[in-house]
Amino acid sequence: MLTRLYRGLLFLYPAEFRDEYGRELSLVFADRSREERSRAGMLLVWMRAVIGILKEAPKEHYHIMIHDIRYALRLMRHDAAVTAATIAIIALAIGSSTLVFSVANGLLLRPFPYPAQDRLVAVHEYSPRDPHETNKISFPNYWDIRARTRLLQDISVYTDGDALLYKEGVAESVPVGQVSDGFFAVLGVTPILGRTFTSADDAAGSPGTVVLGEGFWQRHFGRDPRVLGQSVSTGNSQYRIVGVVTDNIVIPDRAEIWFPMRTDPKKAPRVDYFLSGIARLKPGVTAAQATAELSSLLEQIHRENPAANNHFGIRAVPLREALAGTYRQAVVMLLSAVGLLLLIACANVSNLLLVKASARLREMAVRTALGATRRRLIRQLMCESAIFGLTGGVAGVLLARAGIPALLALIPIDIPRWMDFAIDGRVLAFALALSLITTIGFGLAPAVASFHRDLANSVKQGGRSTSSGRRHKLLRNSLVVSEVALSVLLLAGAGLMTRSLLALKTQALGYEPQNVLKVDIDYSQKRYPDGAPSRALIQHLRQEISTVAGVLSVAFTTGAPLDNHWGRIYTIEGQPVPLQDMPSVNHVIVAPGYFQTLGIPLLRGRDFAESDFDAPHIVIVTQSFARQHWPDGGALGKRVRFGSPANNEPWHTIVGVVADNRHGELKGEDKPTVYLPYSKDFTPNAILIRGSGEPLRMADAVKARIAGIDKGIAVSGVLSLEQILERASWRDRFFTVLLGVFAGMALLLAVVGLYAVLSYTVNLHLHEIGIRMALGASAANVRSMVMRNGMTLTATGLGLGVAAGLLLTRLLKSQLYQVSPLDPAAYGVAIGVLATVALVAAWVPSVRATRIDPVIALRQE
Amino acid sequence: MRPFTLSRDTFHILVALADRERHGYSIMREVEERTGGDVRLSPSTLYSAIKRLLEEGLIQELEERPDPEHDDERRRYYRITKAGRRAAMEEARQLEKLLADARTAGLAPKRA
Repeated sequence: MLTRLYRGLLFLYPAEFRDEYGRELSLVFADRSREERSRAGMLLVWMRAVIGILKEAPKEHYHIMIHDIRYALRLMRHDAAVTAATIAIIALAIGSSTLVFSVANGLLLRPFPYPAQDRLVAVHEYSPRDPHETNKISFPNYWDIRARTRLLQDISVYTDGDALLYKEGVAESVPVGQVSDGFFAVLGVTPILGRTFTSADDAAGSPGTVVLGEGFWQRHFGRDPRVLGQSVSTGNSQYRIVGVVTDNIVIPDRAEIWFPMRTDPKKAPRVDYFLSGIARLKPGVTAAQATAELSSLLEQIHRENPAANNHFGIRAVPLREALAGTYRQAVVMLLSAVGLLLLIACANVSNLLLVKASARLREMAVRTALGATRRRLIRQLMCESAIFGLTGGVAGVLLARAGIPALLALIPIDIPRWMDFAIDGRVLAFALALSLITTIGFGLAPAVASFHRDLANSVKQGGRSTSSGRRHKLLRNSLVVSEVALSVLLLAGAGLMTRSLLALKTQALGYEPQNVLKVDIDYSQKRYPDGAPSRALIQHLRQEISTVAGVLSVAFTTGAPLDNHWGRIYTIEGQPVPLQDMPSVNHVIVAPGYFQTLGIPLLRGRDFAESDFDAPHIVIVTQSFARQHWPDGGALGKRVRFGSPANNEPWHTIVGVVADNRHGELKGEDKPTVYLPYSKDFTPNAILIRGSGEPLRMADAVKARIAGIDKGIAVSGVLSLEQILERASWRDRFFTVLLGVFAGMALLLAVVGLYAVLSYTVNLHLHEIGIRMALGASAANVRSMVMRNGMTLTATGLGLGVAAGLLLTRLLKSQLYQVSPLDPAAYGVAIGVLATVALVAAWVPSVRATRIDPVIALRQE
Repeated sequence: MRPFTLSRDTFHILVALADRERHGYSIMREVEERTGGDVRLSPSTLYSAIKRLLEEGLIQELEERPDPEHDDERRRYYRITKAGRRAAMEEARQLEKLLADARTAGLAPKRA
């Protein structure tokens, strides 16, 4: 009984060792056991034997592995070219996959730096007209929800922006977060120094307090702990510093210092939305449960405040989804693309190894004849594959690491803090798993294909023209066909994305973005209150900047196109609409000269004039706005009112109609835009400067002129309009470039694969070709024979690839702009490119075949 | 031939094989008896060491059984080779030298 158990344990040994010594081991064990009479003695013998196996079996495995590795390394040195090519292909494939995974990791997986971060939810109110709207909640609603919720541990609101800070008379514009008092507690952020905000700090009318971010504290106070109690000046008022917190707070992004809301819930309008909500769920509560509670609370609030009942919905969304949800599809697309690339690489490496394995049939046969078991040889081959896989994996991770800066260079925006693409443990584990999986993927086929009963035959025939050769050929050909199919799929995908990006880039914007510089300014309201003083400042700025060399015209606005847009709801006079159905427009305040500077044509009516400053209740609308409400024309002279009807804002008369232009959104449907003249109520804070050349070259001179007027005016956001456009389309470019790179790599691999197989086939058939030529076949005959072989493989692959593409590229639909997923041009180009390079890849070996000297070829036998 | 350092177990096995050919179990018993039970080889340790000794050419497996009437013919017998003898003697000399050094250093009892 014990002996049988012992024999079972012997399976821990490598098969070779077991075959050789297994019987002896059992015999010795049986002898030893027989000698022991006592039960305790038996137990001791048994234990010692088991410990012996556990100690020695791994050593035997290790010895064999070392042996295999040495042998594999010797072979790899022998075949240096194939080895280098194989490792390079694996490294490229694993490198790309790792890179894409690090993007997926940074966007979708890496946890936020907060305790129990999975309990954080973003809270959004949304209009029934647009259920996908996010990031808004009104202050009074937040206030009431906070008092009534049972499922949220706490809820808070925040907004971001820039604040003007003064130090010795010089102004600096600093990104700030404005937050309600529960904000830091909701996130679980504890201060590095001092304290965060209390409800007393947050109460309307309380003395101003401020919490510094660590970087700001470092930069302005050299990390001096005596900073508590000191003040920060915004020009308008002083704020007492009460604490310092980490900069590692991902929402709102990039804030350097923090102010409390200090909002009175009784005075704040209930349908004004510029705040974002964040809450922490109580343990065990799901986002869906929270959404249900929030919805019933909001309904209650609407019942109590019928005037503010806009029938908005509300929901709680896990923070990850709120921040990264929109990236998910693109990331999945990239992961699939890189998965295809990996498949192609595996097929390619498999092919290389198969070719090698064919050449090694004889070696394997000899070793079998010498007594090596089949298992032993497979183990040897898998060991070789594993070395390829792991070496390629390590090289791939290094490649990915080197690729990350290139990746970041594709992102023209300041990358949000929560996006971190660095290689961490998760990415490494992914790369390792990939190396192992691919090892099995490309190693198994040649390993299995190398063995079958007919090995003995190979010894006699030198590995040529046996049935195993035929089997190899079938396998090689199917691998090439699938490579071609997968690459045409990737090429078509990349083609579609490129067409979409081009459509985005070449679409009519409605303005001329070239040679325009944008500069944001900020200054103290005390120094230049709205009205005459701010008007004088604007005119002074216009005068000074106009004299900068190369400046053609200067405009002022509250929001440059695609940079900063503010939406407002409105009513047309005589066409009342219930609150919840009120549409919204992009609402822009401009000084005269805006349309001319941007090159937006005035279609009807008149442009703004300086004199409108004192009679500002007029509005210029875009053509789509006019068409929407007055399809038969006649918009001029009609009146519009903004905001909730309850606010009773003044009516504005339409005095002009301008051409449509992309103000709010670059992609998809944009809202119509309305323009109001600057006045004592609104002062523009962005300057648009059209120059005669590269706009950024004017930046320094412009900044100098502004500082010349007043060092108390902070300048920020210096960008060309084209940079702003780049930023607005960065995602499309990012994903298109990546997909394009992968498609290019796939193409290269497929071509290399095709070439390798055809060359190999030519070599294998030297003899046959020689005979044919000796019997009078012309060079053209031989060439066409090889070409036909190559083109058959390519055509089969193309057919399969296009069929798969027609099925799969539909998944790309959401990423595409003005391009059908069945776009014939994209497919045409993909097929054309692949067919062309395949022709070249087949041509080279076919020409070589014709140069074969029949005599030499025949003599080789 | 490259130098082969003997582990304690392999040295014991060589010593056990010094006077005659033995099969595995007999080696095990011999080592155990000689050391008064201080060294007990498990079957695994024994055969791992035998495999290593065979690979290094310090022992060899016998083609024919030394005493077919007396012994179970299923068993494999091993004998020490010339190289094995040399290696064992070299090891013994080293141990002797080590012992002498230890004596000089007062780490081992001096013999009269």
